Amino acid sequence: MFKLFRFLKPYWWQTVLLITATAVQVYTTLQLPALTADIINNGIVTGNIDYILQVGINMMLLALLSAVCSIVSGFFSARVGASFSKDVRAAIFTKIINLNLADLKNFNTASLTNRTTNDVNQVQQTMMMMLSMMIRAPLFCIISLVMALKVAPDMSWIIVLGVITILGTTISIMSFVVPKFKIFQKLLDRITLLTRENLTGLRVIRAFNNERIEKRKFEKTNDDLTRIMIFVDKVMKLMNPIINFVMNGATLLCTFIGITLLTKDFAYLGNMSAFAQYVTHVMMSFLMLSMFFVMLPRANVSAGRINEVLKMPGEIHWKEKTHGVPEKLPSVEFRNVDFSYDGAEEKVLENVSFVAKAGETTAFIGSTGSGKSTLINLVPRFYEATAGEVLVNGINIRDYAKEDLMTKIGLVPQKGLLFSGTVKSNIIFGAPEATDKQMKKAAKIAQAANFIEKLPGKYNARIAQGGSNVSGGQKQRLSIARAICKNPDIYIFDDSFSALDMKTDAKLRQALEPVTRDAAVLIVAQRVSTIKNAEQIIVLDSGKVVGKGKHLELLKKCKVYQGIVKSQLSDQEFEKEMKEAYA
Amino acid sequence: MPKAQKVEKPKHFKKTLKILVSSLKKYGWAILAAVILSIGAAVVGIFIPRILGDMTNIAVSTYPEIDFGAIAGKVWLTVGLLLMAGVLSYIEGVILTIVSARWTENLRNQIIDKINRLPISYFDKHKYGDTLSLMTNDVDVLATSLSQQITNLTSHIATLIGVVVMMLTISVPLSLVAFITLPISLVVIGKITKFAQKYFVERQKILGELDGRIEEDYSGELVIKANSYEQTAIETFNDVNNELARAAGKAQFYSTLSFPATHIITNLIYVAVAALGGVFVVEGKITIGGIQAFIQYVSSFNHPITEIAQTMSTMQGMFASAERVFDFLAEEEEEADPESSLVIEKMRGAVEFHDVCFSYDKKTPVIKNFSAKIEPGMQVAIVGPTGAGKTTMINLLMRFYEPDSGYITIDGVPIREMKRADVRKMFGMVLQDTWLFSGTVEENLRYGRHAATLEDIKKASRASNAYHVIEALPKAYKAEISEDSDNISAGEKQLITIARAMVAEPPMMILDEATSNVDTRTEQLIQESFEKLTKKRTSFVIAHRLSTIRNSDLILVMKDGNIVEQGNHNELLKLNGFYAELYNSQFAG
Repeated sequence: MFKLFRFLKPYWWQTVLLITATAVQVYTTLQLPALTADIINNGIVTGNIDYILQVGINMMLLALLSAVCSIVSGFFSARVGASFSKDVRAAIFTKIINLNLADLKNFNTASLTNRTTNDVNQVQQTMMMMLSMMIRAPLFCIISLVMALKVAPDMSWIIVLGVITILGTTISIMSFVVPKFKIFQKLLDRITLLTRENLTGLRVIRAFNNERIEKRKFEKTNDDLTRIMIFVDKVMKLMNPIINFVMNGATLLCTFIGITLLTKDFAYLGNMSAFAQYVTHVMMSFLMLSMFFVMLPRANVSAGRINEVLKMPGEIHWKEKTHGVPEKLPSVEFRNVDFSYDGAEEKVLENVSFVAKAGETTAFIGSTGSGKSTLINLVPRFYEATAGEVLVNGINIRDYAKEDLMTKIGLVPQKGLLFSGTVKSNIIFGAPEATDKQMKKAAKIAQAANFIEKLPGKYNARIAQGGSNVSGGQKQRLSIARAICKNPDIYIFDDSFSALDMKTDAKLRQALEPVTRDAAVLIVAQRVSTIKNAEQIIVLDSGKVVGKGKHLELLKKCKVYQGIVKSQLSDQEFEKEMKEAYA
Repeated sequence: MPKAQKVEKPKHFKKTLKILVSSLKKYGWAILAAVILSIGAAVVGIFIPRILGDMTNIAVSTYPEIDFGAIAGKVWLTVGLLLMAGVLSYIEGVILTIVSARWTENLRNQIIDKINRLPISYFDKHKYGDTLSLMTNDVDVLATSLSQQITNLTSHIATLIGVVVMMLTISVPLSLVAFITLPISLVVIGKITKFAQKYFVERQKILGELDGRIEEDYSGELVIKANSYEQTAIETFNDVNNELARAAGKAQFYSTLSFPATHIITNLIYVAVAALGGVFVVEGKITIGGIQAFIQYVSSFNHPITEIAQTMSTMQGMFASAERVFDFLAEEEEEADPESSLVIEKMRGAVEFHDVCFSYDKKTPVIKNFSAKIEPGMQVAIVGPTGAGKTTMINLLMRFYEPDSGYITIDGVPIREMKRADVRKMFGMVLQDTWLFSGTVEENLRYGRHAATLEDIKKASRASNAYHVIEALPKAYKAEISEDSDNISAGEKQLITIARAMVAEPPMMILDEATSNVDTRTEQLIQESFEKLTKKRTSFVIAHRLSTIRNSDLILVMKDGNIVEQGNHNELLKLNGFYAELYNSQFAG
């Protein structure tokens, strides 16, 4: 939590003003009881109406000053708070956007979004409360103490007594309740878990006729939760009556002691009620501080989650300028490349070498976990190879300036990820300077033109957040158009045709042919049928290249490839293929 | 610090209130007692400043020979009253705690019960996050509001009335001075809140926009990076972020304004009362103790007013939550089972579809006049491209959905005339979505037949190839697994769900062959056990593998939600229609 205080730095003078205004406000507020005492002692008792009015005007002015200060402090508190959370949010966002993708794998999108919004709000609220309480409570406490001692030093022991009782009560109740609270939280989590299970397992539960059992399981947890909740609450509800009693008791004590002291000094008549008010303030500030320590852990959890993002290392350092002259013909080359996640022992890729040449299609196949998606993520440097070299157009990708490398790559991810905006803004996402003609041509090749023409507004049709207003197949076609529009040297298709029907798929491949003629094409595929015609197929198994060659060659010499083909074809079909291979 | 006002408002206040009241009827007496106790505690508390004032008066009037006897009497009276107020409010708190805890417990049970009674179609139309939030957020809001707000309101109203009465008995003219400021303070607070409200609404709107943008950018990060779009993304984000900071700052500032505003008004009364009161004391119209008490009443006069306003806005949120919960509980449930249901004595496993028509929305037909006769032991394959509606068949067979017209029979008995539980008992179901609940492997395997012995379970897991997976887990059958446990892979989870179906020993099977996320080796194991499962059983398979399809006795070819062709592999190929096209493009390549 305190680590995040550095975000207040740019606003230090506003924070100082905030603190000053708060201090003045507290001070003026605390002058009022003393003035009331003054009115009673010197005005009312002596019957001096002029004095009453004079002090009354002073009080009015003080009250005004106090109000002005509180407006000023409210203003800066709101400003500093909003700016603080703005900066923290921006820092997280910038961090995440620039982070390398391998590190991001540990978080899901929902959790990251939560950290950027909810957690920041939580921290901001506590931070502002903290600022205000940390200033207010000690100030209230100290000034009240001083004032109290000034008006009635003989009664100071009441303060000590009051504070001890308040602290004693809060601490003993809290120390009793907090451990129970952890159990309570666990049960509450279980309630959420069970509810989620009931929802996600809807069909299975019904298929097995287990509605009753699920209900009983839930009711058991629910009952446990209710019991502990009642128990905790019963203890917690003691707090208010006790504090009330102590506060009022202190006032009573002040009045009584004040009266006994009247014989010594008649000024106690006014002073005792002023003193009583100060005592209340002191006790209140201790109460505020103890509440603050109850609140802190919750904000700390949020702050921890924010810091976790902020302190992640993983940014990739790019060269300012590309070193070396790229070859004319596009190519991708892997030289003995290893990859493993940070801190992981196991290698996801091991000693991978291949060359993907211009005008050729290089396909990657293998079961899930074989490392084929990881492999293509190394080309645009989303992940950093742990050993070996990756070369694009003959230059090591580490020697590229970021923009130079990215303009060479047209990536079509597995999911058709779109952004809110228009059809056009999505297609020219990677090539903002593309002309309308180029954009439309890209859409046509990607077989997207037909459905775009039917949209209201055509190329200016709105795309909702995440592309939720177009179908899966349409999304995929638009993201293919986005890659084509860049006119890249290297195409990377990560299982990108899965949502297309057969006819569209075939047409699209045909239209792609002339565009990709001079480019190097990398394809990750699940089905053998999609890659049978590739110039080069690379078979991966547990991160190692176990086969390299054309379809028929691999059928002959690569066991893993045979296994994959066999699992996708019938026995007869498989035999036919094998015959062809040996023909 | 004033809290952010809730923007949310209930739509049908009266209706919700009615349901809320009737659901609380059971606790009527307890709530009434709590309300009375809270009023009692408030009233008792009101007397305190008055008595303290009396003490001062006694002291002043008997000065310098102060009558300590009389004062001590007052002291004990005050202590007594304070204790009484404490005890009353504690009892009130405990009563409400128990009432609200039990009431929300009941509400949670009702929700879970409802989840399992609603037709599946409800959940196909609603996001499950919304239902989950009923349980996690809305019930929570209700629990806290109920235990606090009701008596808050009554006790503040009681305090307000009590204070007004006390002030009037001390001095009518002074009271009038104090009351004059009341409408002023109400108007000022109202204006400020309205102003702040405007910015709160704006803030909420921008926050929503920002949330959406963040989510979109995070999930599309791959594309952003690949297109060097980072800088633009950050710039756009900053624009919205700055907007948010501006609106949030304003909302916050205007809402804090009400504090100094009320404060200054309170002080105004305070000074006026002190000054005027001083004059009255001098003129002998009021005692010193009286003015002391009066000053205290003034400062506790504004407090309940702001509190009541606060309570009102919190209650609005409470009603919005209550409305959501009650609306959910009022959703139409699955039609009850017929009273006199039919049972099949000896299963053979003959399934027949008679002119079945079905649509999800009663408009676009998904299945039109479908008839088919499936002999016992036959394997039926359902094929078609993604999104063709293959799961519809499963939905109808399991009676997750009912046909619009036509009917399905098993061994000649219409399933509509049977109990749902009896229909579902006949099928073992293995879906792509490998749902396991959190608990041990053994508990999960026993899910379909609770009486199964450990031997049965082991036998089934051996038969389903899950044996090695389970044995490899630490603690084997006693290993804890959960929805998001990462100690077993998706493929292994599927093996366990197959074993689960086997433990249940169902006479018929429904299977959904998974295609992705499974490595080659596990896929072979799964296929093997699928074959075992379907042997000699009438089975329905959503098929992706050619071997499964070719071995099937009947293939239902689905396209755009319709069954376009049916027959066996050779018949369909001869037809040279959609199936042939599908087959050639996908399998022959």
